[in-house]
Amino acid sequence: MKRTASRLAYTVIVLFVSSIAVFYAIRLSGGDATAAALPGSATEEFREEFRDRLGLNEPIYQQYFTYMGRILSGDPGNSLTNNKALTDMLTEHGRNSLILGGTAFGLVFLVGIPLGILASLRRNSWADQGIMSLSTVAMAVPNFWLALLAVWLFASTLGWLPSAGCCGTKQLILPAVVLAFEGIALTVRMTRSAMIESQNSDYVRTLRAGGLSEWRITCKHVLRNALIPIISLAGLRIGQIVGYALIVETIFGWPGLGQVLVNAVLRRDYPVAQFFSLVLVALVVLGNWLADTGYTIANPRLRKST
Amino acid sequence: MTELDATRSSHAQAWDERVAAYENEARANPWRKKLREFNRNKLLFTGSVLGILIVGLGLIGPLIIGSDYAGQSLRNTHLPPLSEGYLLGTDQYGRDLLVRLCIGIRVSLFVAAAVTSMALVVGMALGMCGGFLGGAVDRAVRSVTDFIWGFPLILVAVLLAGGLGQGLFPVILAVGIVNVAAITRVVRGEVVVLRAREFVEAARACGISRFRIMWRHLLPNVMAPALVLASYYVAVAIIAEAGLSFIGLGAQPPLPSLGKMVADGRGFLRINHWESTVPGIGIAGLVLSVSLIGDGLRDVFDPQLRHEAKGVEKG
Amino acid sequence: MNATAVESRSGEVPSGLDRSPLLEIEDLRISIASDGSSFEVVKGVALTVCENEIVCLVGESGCGKSMTALSVMGLLPRGIAKVTGGRIAFEGRSLLSLQKRELRRLRADSISMIFQDPITSLDPVFPIGSVLEEVIRSHRDVSRAEAREIAVRALMEAELPDAADRLDSYPHQLSGGMRQRVMIALAIALDPKLLIADEPTTALDVTVQAQILENLRARQREREMGMLLITHDLAVVASVADRVAVMYAGEIVEEAPVDELFSDPQHPYTQGLIRSLPDISVSKGSLHSIPGRVPPPQVPPPGCLFAPRCEHALDLCWEASPELSRDGAKSLRCYNAQPFEIG
Repeated sequence: MKRTASRLAYTVIVLFVSSIAVFYAIRLSGGDATAAALPGSATEEFREEFRDRLGLNEPIYQQYFTYMGRILSGDPGNSLTNNKALTDMLTEHGRNSLILGGTAFGLVFLVGIPLGILASLRRNSWADQGIMSLSTVAMAVPNFWLALLAVWLFASTLGWLPSAGCCGTKQLILPAVVLAFEGIALTVRMTRSAMIESQNSDYVRTLRAGGLSEWRITCKHVLRNALIPIISLAGLRIGQIVGYALIVETIFGWPGLGQVLVNAVLRRDYPVAQFFSLVLVALVVLGNWLADTGYTIANPRLRKST
Repeated sequence: MTELDATRSSHAQAWDERVAAYENEARANPWRKKLREFNRNKLLFTGSVLGILIVGLGLIGPLIIGSDYAGQSLRNTHLPPLSEGYLLGTDQYGRDLLVRLCIGIRVSLFVAAAVTSMALVVGMALGMCGGFLGGAVDRAVRSVTDFIWGFPLILVAVLLAGGLGQGLFPVILAVGIVNVAAITRVVRGEVVVLRAREFVEAARACGISRFRIMWRHLLPNVMAPALVLASYYVAVAIIAEAGLSFIGLGAQPPLPSLGKMVADGRGFLRINHWESTVPGIGIAGLVLSVSLIGDGLRDVFDPQLRHEAKGVEKG
Repeated sequence: MNATAVESRSGEVPSGLDRSPLLEIEDLRISIASDGSSFEVVKGVALTVCENEIVCLVGESGCGKSMTALSVMGLLPRGIAKVTGGRIAFEGRSLLSLQKRELRRLRADSISMIFQDPITSLDPVFPIGSVLEEVIRSHRDVSRAEAREIAVRALMEAELPDAADRLDSYPHQLSGGMRQRVMIALAIALDPKLLIADEPTTALDVTVQAQILENLRARQREREMGMLLITHDLAVVASVADRVAVMYAGEIVEEAPVDELFSDPQHPYTQGLIRSLPDISVSKGSLHSIPGRVPPPQVPPPGCLFAPRCEHALDLCWEASPELSRDGAKSLRCYNAQPFEIG
């Protein structure tokens, strides 16, 4: 309990610090916020008035508190380029991102763990060597290039799947697989080595001496112990998916948070960039917290105190 | 011992010699043994050959074929490989793909070198201070690195690009910051273990200054794991730069980055897919060679590092 | 004097050899493969354990005693060590030729084992009760409640304090000594006929060591189990053993009833071991040690394995390996045994 509470406190602090970091990083940018919103012919007085209206002339810490106040009251403002309300954009694009990210996250574990187990049980067989070599290659191929290959093969050449678009199942397959690819490879390797370590442990020897069947030992004890390190890195997998979503969504034209953020940065639409950076950072931090909670639950040594 | 020595038979002497010979063999110069492992290690060998080929192409290629990566020739656009005068063909502006590939490799190598040297120097310094000095310094180092390490690299880079504008500098900074955190964590962990070991205790008991202990006794011991880890992060840096350039946040035109070249070729996959394929193979080859070298180094130097390497992030 | 010692002993415990043997090991050979080469670590071990007797297998670490014990259970680390020859029989059945399934049925039920390190030997993610229950139910067709009852009884016999309340404890909540009691409970829960204990007290505090040994001995006596106790500690041997086998570099060099072994050791290695026991009655006596060191298993000496460290080695000892010759209750592997003198 104590650990969970302290992790929660830590998470809140991290959220606070990162909101400041994000705010400063974007607001302190040398770029001129008015360049994106106003036509080039706008006069200097008009620009000055615009800055005043947005509160850009106030001291920066004051801007931060004003800004966070507005976010917490549910009104983070509007886009500079198309004047859409950021909250509307969040619900619309957030939904898309959740579908894509959730699918990828599921794939990482539902594909990665079974493959890792298979490799560990058939150690040094052709299946193991095949899986391990594939995962080495999978980790070396950058996902944007993988995306292009996938589009070229499945969309352009075979015509099985659409190359881009939103948001049906068919459109989901390619981006989700590409997004999950490296996570799967890492999970396979982790699972394999965690399983092997657990199989060679003293407690498994004890269970064998207890006359339990090999199958039962593997399914119950070895797997249960191997899950602990896998869960402990689930937070990293969430972060990885959020990070890669920026690239994969852009490539596949999947209208999620990542694509919106990248476009906003490219167009210097700073309210959008700032808000969606905050959203993604918060997602990562909360994901880490969730993974840590899962880790605490999975590991009795942390669950109860002695 | 003495009573035995006096009556040593020829049998005993013969056996002593056999054991001594066996042990000498087993002890053999550790560097020779490492070298033998180097040669036997297939991962390391394949990775090194691939790496030397690609790096050689990037460094030496432009000296031979020139480095005019921006020169356009609108009459010779979208040429396939092995066209006359263009070994790998041209892109949509008729720019020589081979030249651009070489320069692109240079850009990747530059980013990787900048990021990795920054990560190594800062990461080892922070990790050693945190781990060895302990107390408030350690707490500060740990909370900052844990904080940064949890963030996906691409997101940090996009954030910095949002603040600093597009270009290679924010990419280097972002990847560097995240890699510093990663190296710091590992070095700190190593140092905490080393600190409790006898030789450090002994050095402290002898009154050797803390700085000297760190420099003379700890540094050589954390060097191997830090270098092995750094080789992984070279791969991370190359992929991150390519990915960010791909979405337009990295190298700005006309400077060719491999990622940007892949992106430029996207629109012409049907006309001449080589415009994307060539730089793509370049990136994959570069990353593959670095990962293989990393795996090989790990096997040779530090089997225990496996766990750390498992958590390596590229995203 | 020796004869009287044996008689007095056999008064409380009948001497082992005239009863039907429980475990018979003959000419057991085990090899370890590493780095592409392989070498023998157990070189023709012969050993018998009968009902209701405690046999101690003594030797320094690396002499192959743990490998011998693991091979009986079929638990040699896979891919590293394997039995290359010999015979292991339990109640006349050969264990080495058993199907995996049949061997599994014997484990914990007929033969059970306690390991050295109680800290790492219990599954950290399950409560101890659930593991006990699982082992019991995999051998007996009982309900969960009945299995729990058996588990509590075993824990009480292993003298774990508050046994009934500990079922839901995780290993990390127990001390090293308590965990070893859980291991004992796991080993005796199903009333096995043979208990193998591999250095059961080595990892524990001295005060706990005595309690655990006392407990093991009490359980052995009341159940009339055969027990193979593996240790490097002669003090342990002296306090519990009925019969002792001394192992050196993968071979049994001497075997004798415990009193005879201590009063009249024959093999120079055994003599050296006993001589090197610190004598607390002499306050400033110098400590004795056996000169030289164990030969590396990759380079065995040509003749007797102990010859390089032996002060009485003859030319013959360097040229041929002595056989283990039996003389009544005692066996010895030596060409040139000398009478034992203290100091």
